[in-house]
Amino acid sequence: MFLFRKNRKKLKTKPMEQKAAQNGKETITLRDDLQDSVTYLEKFLGQNEDIVFRHFRIFGNFSAFLCYFSEHANPSEINTDILKPLMYPPEHIEKNPPDISNLVEVMIKEVLYQSKVKTITDWEVLIEGLFQGDTIMLIDGVNSGLKIGTRKLKERSIDEPRTELVVLGPREGFIEQLGTNIGLLRYRLPTSDLVIKTMKIGKFTKTKVAVCYIKSVTDPELIKEVEDRLSKIEFDSVLDSGIIEQFIEDNPYSPFPQIQTTERPDRTVGNLIEGRVAILTQGSPFALILPTVFNQFYQTTEDYTNRFLMGNFIRMIRILALVFSLIFPSMYVSFIAFNPELLPTEFAVAVSGGRAGVPFPAVIEVLVIEVAMEILREATVRLPQQVGGALSIVGVLIIGQAAVEAGFASPVTVVVIAIATIGSFATPVYTAAFALRMLRFPILILAGTFGLYGVVIGAILIFNHMLSLKSFGVPYMSPVSPPDKEGMKDVVVRSPLWKMKSRPRFLQPQDIDRVGAKTQDLRDRRRVPGPFDDSN
Amino acid sequence: MDTPKKITDIQTASIVISSIIGVGVLPLPLFAVRAGNTAAPIVTLIGIAISLFALFIITVLGMRHPNKTIFGYSEEILGKWLGRFCNIFVILFFALLTALGSREFGAVVTTAILRETPIEVTVLVMLLLAAITSRNDLNTFAYIHTFYLPVIISPVVIIVVLSLQNANALYLQPLLGNDIGDMFKGSLTIASLCQWSFVLTIIIPLMLNPKRAMRTGMTGLLIAGGILLMLVVASVAVFGAEETKKLLWPTLELARTTTLPGDLLQRMDVVFLTVWVTAVFTTLLSGYTFICHALSGLFRLRDHKIFSFSLLPIIFVLSMLPGNLLQMYKVIEFVGRFGLIVTIGYPCILLAIDLIRNKRGKRSAPTNM
Repeated sequence: MFLFRKNRKKLKTKPMEQKAAQNGKETITLRDDLQDSVTYLEKFLGQNEDIVFRHFRIFGNFSAFLCYFSEHANPSEINTDILKPLMYPPEHIEKNPPDISNLVEVMIKEVLYQSKVKTITDWEVLIEGLFQGDTIMLIDGVNSGLKIGTRKLKERSIDEPRTELVVLGPREGFIEQLGTNIGLLRYRLPTSDLVIKTMKIGKFTKTKVAVCYIKSVTDPELIKEVEDRLSKIEFDSVLDSGIIEQFIEDNPYSPFPQIQTTERPDRTVGNLIEGRVAILTQGSPFALILPTVFNQFYQTTEDYTNRFLMGNFIRMIRILALVFSLIFPSMYVSFIAFNPELLPTEFAVAVSGGRAGVPFPAVIEVLVIEVAMEILREATVRLPQQVGGALSIVGVLIIGQAAVEAGFASPVTVVVIAIATIGSFATPVYTAAFALRMLRFPILILAGTFGLYGVVIGAILIFNHMLSLKSFGVPYMSPVSPPDKEGMKDVVVRSPLWKMKSRPRFLQPQDIDRVGAKTQDLRDRRRVPGPFDDSN
Repeated sequence: MDTPKKITDIQTASIVISSIIGVGVLPLPLFAVRAGNTAAPIVTLIGIAISLFALFIITVLGMRHPNKTIFGYSEEILGKWLGRFCNIFVILFFALLTALGSREFGAVVTTAILRETPIEVTVLVMLLLAAITSRNDLNTFAYIHTFYLPVIISPVVIIVVLSLQNANALYLQPLLGNDIGDMFKGSLTIASLCQWSFVLTIIIPLMLNPKRAMRTGMTGLLIAGGILLMLVVASVAVFGAEETKKLLWPTLELARTTTLPGDLLQRMDVVFLTVWVTAVFTTLLSGYTFICHALSGLFRLRDHKIFSFSLLPIIFVLSMLPGNLLQMYKVIEFVGRFGLIVTIGYPCILLAIDLIRNKRGKRSAPTNM
């Protein structure tokens, strides 16, 4: 301490003001005077309950100071891997003690049992590290600090994704911690082609956001565009990937999601390989996948993991459900209210018999039941799980049975609404199902005004809107329109895997081929003769 | 033009097909039979031949000036002011055509499905739909046409196929008609149904490969022509020539006679008509977009969007001018035939002057196929 008196005299003001005055820039470099820095730190952070300040002597000789946030860093690691070797140095150090000029180098190279150590001269970086769970160490007489990675976060275990369940397929889902999520991607893609770039967004939250893509496949222009849009976000709190989505999507006023969110690492990897970009956000279990086209919203990973016929059967059922969820109630209204002559006579009689006691026009009836259904659905999501089950039974009973008996709705109406609602649950991507749920109401009103003509007008409006949408420059309805021959193999029906020879062309991948020559040969022969083959 | 050149061959052909197939298809067999009785198919064929010629002329013009729309090169060929003067007629004609198209469909809808709705409402709804959509750029315009193509073609094919069970080949004979003059007049009416393909003149400069415009345009027109011919043959074969003359919209009646196997739906014509909204919409969209882009070309504006809603009242008033259905069809036939001067005569003059002056576009293209 005495040795450095001289220096202290120079340093009357706080380190912060000192540097700012010097060159007008924001960077504040560290001074070598320990006491000064400590006073500054204590003044700056001392009121926090969870901060730990610790003075000690390195090798019994050099005054040093260490601080970390106790709940954010791992104290036992700090004790055994940092403090212990420094206070109780190895033998060769004791024999040949370093002096102040090479102290830091010796410490990093020979003493500390920690892989993530950095020498840092910038105060700001040091403090930021502190807030992220790193430990910072200052040594008297050294004008740089050490940032040691001792971060330890509480995280939940990797769980089955809640929103995207599959019967056959991996059971892992993303969690909130970015590091774990990157790990989930890395082990599925053990290749140097996978690039993960991180940046920090949010004035207060300083959320770490990772842009992932496959170097040799993804269109460089797309990557540039994504990074460009991300870098333009200046917002105080980025708490979830949904907030980032709203800042980078093309048309914020469209009901349709232009970026896919997924909880599934396997789905993310599949999309990366097709040439898309994934954005992972610290604190959010949802990855953003872009660019997105509409047909992704009825595809699931199961379509591909299942065998050809089964996968396609399920997919067609799903498309049917999607169409039902959108237009089934409005079709019903227009048939009943405008064109009952279209129905077969017996059925028309039965329907009108059921509606005999209902005083409202068909539109009102359907609208009321629809609204009741939406309320019920929202309530079941919010309620605690134990109550939720009971409520849905009560709700179904009330709305189904009692409404019919009270003459509030006809039985056919209830059936129709039920099919539409179940249909919307079959849409695998929640955000897309939401869009269709919402659009059901305007179409219903159009159907009530113009009948089938109104339904078609509504459908045309929706399709035109979808055709004009773009997601990061890719038309939303690709590969249907603009048509793409290879892409058509995965629209309504997917081709067998070996026949989908190229990546979607609308993503402009650098490398188009998916299937190697050997597989193509094998599959062309169709059948490899087996040992029990008679014809062989 | 700032829009990138991205319209592919398939999209170009789709634009031609779905522009042509529109509300005009509903009374088409009536026009053909009136002109030539049992020779209706021949009348249709001649009509298609005439429109092929028209398409040939505009495509040659477009390929000689692959970077300009008709509004660009006409001013170059005729001089600035004369060119603009002529183009005003083209725009007026298409405004009239779009107005009458929406009126005609409005009449069909109020007659067949929405009997209590005033015609003004149905017309306005169709025009609004076209106006909203015409705000998109031409690439989206191409996507829209391509997307709806199957929806437009499949009902016609289904109805023709299903109606074959009631067909009688004897009704089609004799193949040749008697009155050549009448037949030619009828052919002109049918050619006038195909003049929506004139929209190609604003598409060619945005094509990825303008050199193939001739092939794709002709393919599109031939497919559309084939569908028209199929409908005429089917309605004559089902109803006979004399009966067809009594029907206002023979195509709709054709749909009425057919039933789907399985008795799922009792009547097909309403379903046919509602699906048909799509076909009418694409046709009106072509007309509307054409006018918007033409006007922005005329006034040298970069953005065509301001016209999409400001035009709406004008076109709506135009569509309300005919007093009743019969008057409307008289106007449609007259305007259609008069329009051939605009869509065939005008390009012919342009091409002739262009050839004489031999003033080529920046990238000269071969003039023949």
